[in-house]
Amino acid sequence: MRKIIIVITLLITSFGMAPGQGLFSPGSPKDDGRFAASTKQVNQFFRRFNAEESQDGSQRYYSGDALFRDRELRGKFISILFDNETSGISSQMKTEFMREVLSESQPQFLSFHEGEWFAEVLAVFQYKGRSENVTLFLKIQPEGLGYEWVIDKVVFQPFKDIFKKPSGTDKSFIHPLSHELGFMNLRKAFENSNTPESYTPKEYVPDYLTLFLYELKKGSIKFETISDVKFHFFQIDNWYFELDQFNRPGFNTGWLIGDLVKLKPGDKENILDFIYDQK
Amino acid sequence: MKKYIPLFLMLFFASATVTLAQTDNISPARKQAIDSLALEKVKDLSKYISIIGSKETQFSEANRVMDRAEELFAPDAEMGVSSLNRKEIAYYKVRNYFERLMALNYDRVNITWYDIHYISDLERQPDGRYVGVITVYQRFEGTSIESGLNYRDTTKKDITIYVEKKQTQIAGRTIEFWDVMLGDIRVTETAA
Repeated sequence: MRKIIIVITLLITSFGMAPGQGLFSPGSPKDDGRFAASTKQVNQFFRRFNAEESQDGSQRYYSGDALFRDRELRGKFISILFDNETSGISSQMKTEFMREVLSESQPQFLSFHEGEWFAEVLAVFQYKGRSENVTLFLKIQPEGLGYEWVIDKVVFQPFKDIFKKPSGTDKSFIHPLSHELGFMNLRKAFENSNTPESYTPKEYVPDYLTLFLYELKKGSIKFETISDVKFHFFQIDNWYFELDQFNRPGFNTGWLIGDLVKLKPGDKENILDFIYDQK
Repeated sequence: MKKYIPLFLMLFFASATVTLAQTDNISPARKQAIDSLALEKVKDLSKYISIIGSKETQFSEANRVMDRAEELFAPDAEMGVSSLNRKEIAYYKVRNYFERLMALNYDRVNITWYDIHYISDLERQPDGRYVGVITVYQRFEGTSIESGLNYRDTTKKDITIYVEKKQTQIAGRTIEFWDVMLGDIRVTETAA
């Protein structure tokens, strides 16, 4: 038995002492602070935004801990969560945003599970022999014993090109007394028009997600790869921001706020229309 | 009003069940213990990668280490690799990734790991298992003696971990324990 213990001990120590091999072994290169400063995961963005972890990210703070959601710590964290190199968000805008988020009477926090944020994923699919960009919008929803990401919307240019409802005098129509003829004129309507969407109500919006799933199931669309990911947040009252990943030298890297907009009434709908680009 | 009472009770119990089911019931102390266990697995993986990549490792030894490394992963785990020049993700099966690493055409390869890591929160999946992500940074240096070329890069590795409560029988008693498996890994070349 003693022999076995000695052999196992030797085996373990021989692995551990091999210089520069494993994580945190004696030969590990030292981080000069850039990786520590980087917001390495979206999870870390949430934790920093809310001040729910220590400055070096090694300790998670929970309700009851002295520094949990500490206002001063939050201020330090949020000030480093903006892209300061390319986005051009004015310092006045940042200050106003931080003042509202850090309000002493009504501070606002981000929540992973409470909606009002979603992912935009730029993917590449094979369609009719060509690689085509497809934008997928995903959101978090409760399911079973936990949560899951689900595809909420899809933008695919070839689908958009199919549906172009004419307007004004160019638009075909089914005349208002067609019912008296038992709608016999539907034959002409469908055979002579390549825009059958002309015969849909004003509020009609094509359901691209259903079409996309149909084509996937038929095998006409095949997944190739992912080329970019970003996130859109509407969780902070009267503010919208975009979360992007910045992979570049320096200390201002990782998941950072790349766009910030103060919302007036109606702006949210306009921004959503712009993001979804569905109209 | 009375006829609504059973409905209210039913709604209350239904919502209570959903809330309980979706609450993260891993305590901070438990989370810390799971983090340590997960980090040990990531340390093992980092050691195995360094050994597989080293030119001093014999072929048979590299294959043995690849087998050991594969055992750390859940079935169907993949590596998704992108570089600074190519943002699109290239997908590899874990074994395939190790084999490509072993076959790299350098005379000398040195793989080291930065002294920093980040561990995410654990989120519960619909099937009841928990999932998290550990981020580590790896430095790769490859030297080709003939051409005199040196290649060096730093990659960020975001490693999925699956955490599951399991049971085992020891001396007729049922013992519960938390098991950690590695899952998909996203490998991103950094501009550092």
